[in-house]
Amino acid sequence: MGCSVIQKERSGIINPIFNCQPAGAQYAGIGVKDCIPLVHGGQGCSMFVRLLFAQHFKENFDIASSSLHEEAAVFGGIKRLDLGIATMVERYPDLRVIPIITTCSTETIGDDIEGAIRKAQRTLKAKYPDRVVHLVPVHTPSYTGSAVSGYNVAIQSLITTIAKKTEPNGKLNVFTGWVNPGDITELKHYLSEMGVDSTVLLDIESFDSPMMPNKDSFTSGNTTVEDIESTANATASIALSRYEGYSAAQVLEKKFDVPAVITPTPIGIRNTDIMLQQIQQITGKQIPESLVRERGIALDALADLAHMFFADKKVAIYGNPDLVIALAEFCREVELKPVLLLLGDENGGYAKDPRILQLQESVDYDMEIVCNADLWELESRIKEKKIDLDLILGHSKGRYIAIDANIPMVRVGFPTFDRAGIYRNPVMGYKGAMWLGETIANTLFAHMEFNKDREWLLNTW
Amino acid sequence: MPMKLLDCDAGIPEREQHVYIKEAGEDTTKFLPISNSATIPGSLSERGCAFCGAKLVIGGVLKDTIQMIHGPFGCSYDTWHTKRYPSDNDNFQLKYAWSTNVKEKNVVFGAEKLLKKSILEAFDAMPTIKRMFVYTTCSTALIGDDPKAVAKAVMAERPDVDIFVVECPGFAGVSQSKGHHVLNMGWIHEKVGQVEPEITSEYTINFIGDYNIQGDTDVLQRYWHKLGIQVLAHFTGNATYDELRGMHRAQLNVVNCARSAGYIANELQKQYGIPRLDIDSWGFSYMASGLRKVGDFFGIQDKVEALIAEEEAKWKPQMEWYKERLQGKKMAIWTGGPRLWHWTRAVEDDLGVQVVAMASKFGHQEDFEKVIARGREGTVYIDDGNELEFFEVIDMVKPDVIFTGPRVGELVKKLHIPYVNGHAYHNGPYMGFEGFVNLARDMYNAVNSPLWALAGQNIQGEVL
Repeated sequence: MGCSVIQKERSGIINPIFNCQPAGAQYAGIGVKDCIPLVHGGQGCSMFVRLLFAQHFKENFDIASSSLHEEAAVFGGIKRLDLGIATMVERYPDLRVIPIITTCSTETIGDDIEGAIRKAQRTLKAKYPDRVVHLVPVHTPSYTGSAVSGYNVAIQSLITTIAKKTEPNGKLNVFTGWVNPGDITELKHYLSEMGVDSTVLLDIESFDSPMMPNKDSFTSGNTTVEDIESTANATASIALSRYEGYSAAQVLEKKFDVPAVITPTPIGIRNTDIMLQQIQQITGKQIPESLVRERGIALDALADLAHMFFADKKVAIYGNPDLVIALAEFCREVELKPVLLLLGDENGGYAKDPRILQLQESVDYDMEIVCNADLWELESRIKEKKIDLDLILGHSKGRYIAIDANIPMVRVGFPTFDRAGIYRNPVMGYKGAMWLGETIANTLFAHMEFNKDREWLLNTW
Repeated sequence: MPMKLLDCDAGIPEREQHVYIKEAGEDTTKFLPISNSATIPGSLSERGCAFCGAKLVIGGVLKDTIQMIHGPFGCSYDTWHTKRYPSDNDNFQLKYAWSTNVKEKNVVFGAEKLLKKSILEAFDAMPTIKRMFVYTTCSTALIGDDPKAVAKAVMAERPDVDIFVVECPGFAGVSQSKGHHVLNMGWIHEKVGQVEPEITSEYTINFIGDYNIQGDTDVLQRYWHKLGIQVLAHFTGNATYDELRGMHRAQLNVVNCARSAGYIANELQKQYGIPRLDIDSWGFSYMASGLRKVGDFFGIQDKVEALIAEEEAKWKPQMEWYKERLQGKKMAIWTGGPRLWHWTRAVEDDLGVQVVAMASKFGHQEDFEKVIARGREGTVYIDDGNELEFFEVIDMVKPDVIFTGPRVGELVKKLHIPYVNGHAYHNGPYMGFEGFVNLARDMYNAVNSPLWALAGQNIQGEVL
């Protein structure tokens, strides 16, 4: 009995849990306003990632490529990079930030990105004396880490390159990690209720963008250059995700003495409680009655579900590590039993993550945490009947596991392209806990009905 | 001037040679946009990479084959869940993505051992599967691995498996097109002729350049079946690896997508003397004429006429209903390349729809010759179009509907212009007679959605 942390034994991957580093860096890049990431590599490295973002958000995002062709692979790609920067600055007059995102090809070739940036800045200054375009080096070879670390590297580099100490602004930096627009809305709501002046990084609430009568609404991130610059002047930073953005908060602490606080990813009631109390502690602003009420509404909803429908149901969870760990903690609150957690990259630090240590101390049934995992770790356990699941929590890339094994599945994380509008809902905060609980319940109910499995239970509820 | 420098291209004037507007009395001996040439970095081109052309377009369609991507896992992740090509094999080809998971140490010290281990693991994990494609990617091509030697070693150890290696890194060529070529040529040289197909009909063909998008292959297969024609290999819709090894025994190669698969048809002609017959499988009149050509070849004209009559009787009334309502609508086609020339005349003849702008990602000179010959005067023809050009062209030609990919579809939605998925279709299949009715229906529904009128109304200003 208890929770064991193991490693995938195969060296190859069958069905990866997430994309490679440059994809994560691109996700961070599109969160910045007046910014077009430039992916330095083959065209597929950006074309597919743009498609992936479009699949998830049902929106278009601008990402450029240096279009590496053969001669660049042989002689180096700096010329392509120079041309790319020049073309973008010329054709997009509002452009203010270009994250230059490397890939496995350009890292293997060994292009000198920093040198190229210095040279390009001199050229730009001469040609556009009144414009400042930040060129941000983002080293994300695909053979290291994953999209998760790529997001982290990019946001850290944005901060390192752009943040600038001037006057204290009294604000709180909130590093959200890789979340959805619905989460940002919820987090902003809390900060507003508490009267906390904040900078949300990255503010991607606008990824859920409208069609407007005058046809002028296009989708982009909402974090401005000024927002990033002023992170150096904040009172403190709070990071909601250990692996996606915390290191950027640490850069601010080291470079500009802005204290960095890490909080458990605020999914579930207790984790949200801790986040709000930490914000209260940092800012001195009280948690208002309105949030106590919202918390109560969520608890009231979950109490209707937990021991009647959720208790002892076995759950497998996969996705970004902070999300998976926090979802497992949420499951434990509502009496669901997470029995298998898949953490999909080679990060060696998971076994020391305090939240995983806590799970290891407290779990009183068999639970496996697989590091460096792929989705075959889940599928093969189901096929070999090593695991008996009532529910899968994960993103759309695992859809066929659930479909073929006839296991109810709730889409959560990234990407969730096979369900409508998932990104609009929060999983964070009290409302997120309620949405998760109710979506899980409704998914289980629909499954009972379509499979004629005690569907009569719901004849009266 | 027929070649057009768009305003947005002022800073990249070389783009003038890629944008053409057809004028009265002109033909392509006078003007032809440059195509299949290097992309301008930072232009926000729509192009993908050569690896994509090999794996996603052609190889990944095979329903019984492991697709081992030798590289970091992103290339595998990215070419998974991006296509709508079902199979009658429980969609094995849609469900899995394999990667050798190359890490930094492999880039430094070589990745051949890792490749071998991953190949064996994949076969062990899926013991009923005995066929595999291995693809190199940017990183494994740069470090100079010899994947063919690894494949050979595995095949020597395990005689029941067969492996085909595609050496096609993303930086090869200028677009997806390079990948089509590499896969075609590799396959004909290394695999065709290895399996003897069982011949069950006096008429045999290969059907080349159809990838069973939303069941296209099924529609055409019903026609071939009715005509008593045995298709030895579909290249590659709903096909198996071994079917493609027996392509050399067909009497005729019928080619739909000449861009992605014309190469193998030419090689089959050269090496085995099998004639190549190009047809268009989209559109009523094209499909009928394609079937007639096949019928002429085999001397089965009666059967073909009966089939066409039956299909037209069944589908023409519906087509006419849509034609009455779509007549005069303006359409743009922004896809890979060949669908421009497959569709432009077909929608005009069958539906009275005018194609007013076309952009190709990876078409070659011969594609532009065909499309400009078939296309209208005043229409804008673009090679390797980019986002700012699309905006400008939309202003110029004001299309009612755009056939393009889902991401660009999301972009034009903000301009209140409906899109229909020109790659994976909205609700296909689109090939054959019934398929073109599906296309017409999707176009009609897109153009006539009540949402567009609502989107244009400003509730602050107008009294409703």
